[in-house]
Amino acid sequence: MMTARTVVENGVVPTLCRMCSNHCSIGIHIADGNMIDIAPLEGNPVNQGKMCPRGRAALDTFYHPNRIRTPLKRKPDGSYVEISRNRALDEIAEKMLDIKSRFGARSMGLWKGEAIGFLQQEEYPRRFAHAFGTPNYFSNDSACYNGRFLGHYLVTGFWNPFPYYAQADLILLFGTNPPVCHPPFMAEFADAKANGANLVVIDPRLNPIACYADIFAQPLPGTDGALAWGLIRYLVNAGEYDHELVERYSIGFEAIAAYAQKFTPEFVEKETGVFADVLVSVAQLIIKNRPKVSFYMGAGLEHHDNGVDNVRALVVLSCLTGGLDIACGLTWPENMPRNKLTLYDELPLENEEPIGADRFPVLYELRKECHSMTAMDFMLGNGDYPLKGLIVTAANPAVTNPNTEKVEKALSSLDLLVVNELFMTRTAQLADYILPAATFLERSEIHTDPKFQRVYLTNKVAEIPGIEDEYMLWHDLAHRLGFGETYFPWENEDQVNRFILEPSGITIEQLRENPQGIAYLPLTFQKYLSRPLPTGSGKVELVSPYLEKLGFKAVPEYVPPYHLRKKSDVYPFLLTTGARKTLLYHSRHQNLKHFRKLHPKAELEIHPDDAAGLGISHREPVRIVSEIGELVVEAKIVHKAELRQGVVEMYHGWEEWRINFTTFDNINDPISGFPLLKGVPVRIEKISTSDMH
Amino acid sequence: MDIVYVELDRCIACLNCERACLFHKFERRIGSTANIFVTVDMDRRQIFAGTCRQCETAPCMTVCPVEAITRDPLTEAVIVDKETCIGCSMCIVACPFGYIVLDESSRRATKCDLCGGNPRCVQMCMAGALHFGSIDSLAERKRKHPDLGLGLCAVSDRGDLK
Repeated sequence: MMTARTVVENGVVPTLCRMCSNHCSIGIHIADGNMIDIAPLEGNPVNQGKMCPRGRAALDTFYHPNRIRTPLKRKPDGSYVEISRNRALDEIAEKMLDIKSRFGARSMGLWKGEAIGFLQQEEYPRRFAHAFGTPNYFSNDSACYNGRFLGHYLVTGFWNPFPYYAQADLILLFGTNPPVCHPPFMAEFADAKANGANLVVIDPRLNPIACYADIFAQPLPGTDGALAWGLIRYLVNAGEYDHELVERYSIGFEAIAAYAQKFTPEFVEKETGVFADVLVSVAQLIIKNRPKVSFYMGAGLEHHDNGVDNVRALVVLSCLTGGLDIACGLTWPENMPRNKLTLYDELPLENEEPIGADRFPVLYELRKECHSMTAMDFMLGNGDYPLKGLIVTAANPAVTNPNTEKVEKALSSLDLLVVNELFMTRTAQLADYILPAATFLERSEIHTDPKFQRVYLTNKVAEIPGIEDEYMLWHDLAHRLGFGETYFPWENEDQVNRFILEPSGITIEQLRENPQGIAYLPLTFQKYLSRPLPTGSGKVELVSPYLEKLGFKAVPEYVPPYHLRKKSDVYPFLLTTGARKTLLYHSRHQNLKHFRKLHPKAELEIHPDDAAGLGISHREPVRIVSEIGELVVEAKIVHKAELRQGVVEMYHGWEEWRINFTTFDNINDPISGFPLLKGVPVRIEKISTSDMH
Repeated sequence: MDIVYVELDRCIACLNCERACLFHKFERRIGSTANIFVTVDMDRRQIFAGTCRQCETAPCMTVCPVEAITRDPLTEAVIVDKETCIGCSMCIVACPFGYIVLDESSRRATKCDLCGGNPRCVQMCMAGALHFGSIDSLAERKRKHPDLGLGLCAVSDRGDLK
């Protein structure tokens, strides 16, 4: 058992869970200096006094015997030796300065991981990068999340538009599995259902929530845009849209009305595989219930080479139904006034050729996010300049980025790879220096929730001597590199929290007294009636002048996905990756014993008719082969309704079975730069018994 | 007495309850089989969740040849004494609902014991489908919710007539 100190000897410390990004209010129970239990806390509208088993496992993560507890340095023979934190940071700083003097500051990159979190945890490396002089900030957001952000932002100028589902008369879910991805939404769905709401679920995969759907349709992956345009056409031609919104608060209606015309129900059927009369039924449900219609677009839509425009088309549809900034529609959240830590105004670096900014200018301009797939080319010497060093904090690109073989080669080729981690992940195993990271229980940070417009302060519950939180990593490095006093003057995270909160009018003390959060602004709706939307035109941009200026189509046109443009007999199946599992969180938590009992190993979900056609039986190992790589896993034959025939699905986060050996890094959405992770053409091979010996 | 019951049409089959139960038992080393069951019937697109009803006249208790099944004096839950149980499975035959089963690792009968009065499954039901209360509180809930599919006419929470 490792030495850990809790902040109180006995009692309950309230905080927020960070085992996924939903941030439920929890209480950590402590007895005799040991954290012994976690229970949900009442009073936070996000989780309403409930929590999930994933959250309760935070203690198993904290006390995990395999946690990295001391800094490690790789020896020339590949083994690791323990090293003091001070010495590790001295050496890392020295190597960073060496890279800077030889190649320029931009040859260093920083990569923030999902496991670390958002708000200040994301802003530390962004700040650090610019203080050091490199524009190269990366995160997993260049392969997830930003596609949906951009799809919304380019139309309405805001994000995160989480609806209050309980007030809807019709809910449409596209490519999402809320009980798994957003557990707190479940109560709202149940309330909506009890109030008699209709439900439409669009997904190639049948998740249990679809049992309640009035209409469930399984389109071909990546064809949601065609479906959206079919619905837009129906509504426009029927005159069933929000006329006032179109006339007074939007631009581009004529263009979209004209473009929509080719998406007849028959055309949509041919493109998506969804029957024409199903499309018409969905359209009629929308007409019957509008404007009280909730649309939710999940990650299933963005992992395509046409994802942003598919999402945009659905946001346009949502606006046409009258859902703009109403409670059950596209809510326009207001941010808390706060001090930002980023230095984009003080120290702009867009002229330093941020990696990927030339290929995917929208991603950089609107998100200040460099393109992690392009970064691999820069590491391998195929970029405009070399990327020689990288600091990764709790990200695991060796598992979760596409084209694993290339990622491993690229990361291994670096002069300096530093990984700040909880565990020996695949990525950590490639590092020159590994630093022990702190869990969420070991830090105190500000969190804001845009849906309920609340701000929270999480509490530090325990600490392990020798393990520092994320802020101290950047602080200590900055001071060694000579810009600490200017840019990281705060002695600890408590001081940072005070700085962030200053303009809000809310104090740390108030937040401490209210662990379930404080509403920073009252919720108001239909704000666009009294003030312009935060788009370039101040109106809903049904067409985007911004994109047009950059050389894209102004209308969110539907471009058929890669697998329809390049049909292949060699790779007849469509692999979708990334459908989540209840207990795992991307590549996290698979080292928890009791979780592994329920998710013991990777499996390829396959339709029974497809399996029969290949002569594959349940639990038989099969080989997944794409144009660039292959992987052997067990087949899981699902119920015939569970998956669209011709589509196979595999989880994306396994350390042992990395499906990203088969996914492409170079087939990208032109706006977001996202890789194709759903709809990858593959073939499934039966492994003959002789192969196995 | 209070029991765990399900408001069936709120259940979205997230399986949190099964896992909460299972992990609770792992942690306490008292078994490796969950005692709440969620079934998704893909043919009929139906979800069904349920657990022991803690029957007043419990067939499992009556039939047990070694008196391993008794009533907890505090919670009134029907509980199995693992030390006494011989794994004969008579209780499993007798239970009309299928909510008492043989534990995978110990090969002894296992069932919901209400976690001593604070059922984990209810704490972890984020859909708000599971409740811990008297059977009459379930009846009361049904009277409030005309949309439960029972074909009853009643006034809903929102006050409008169904």
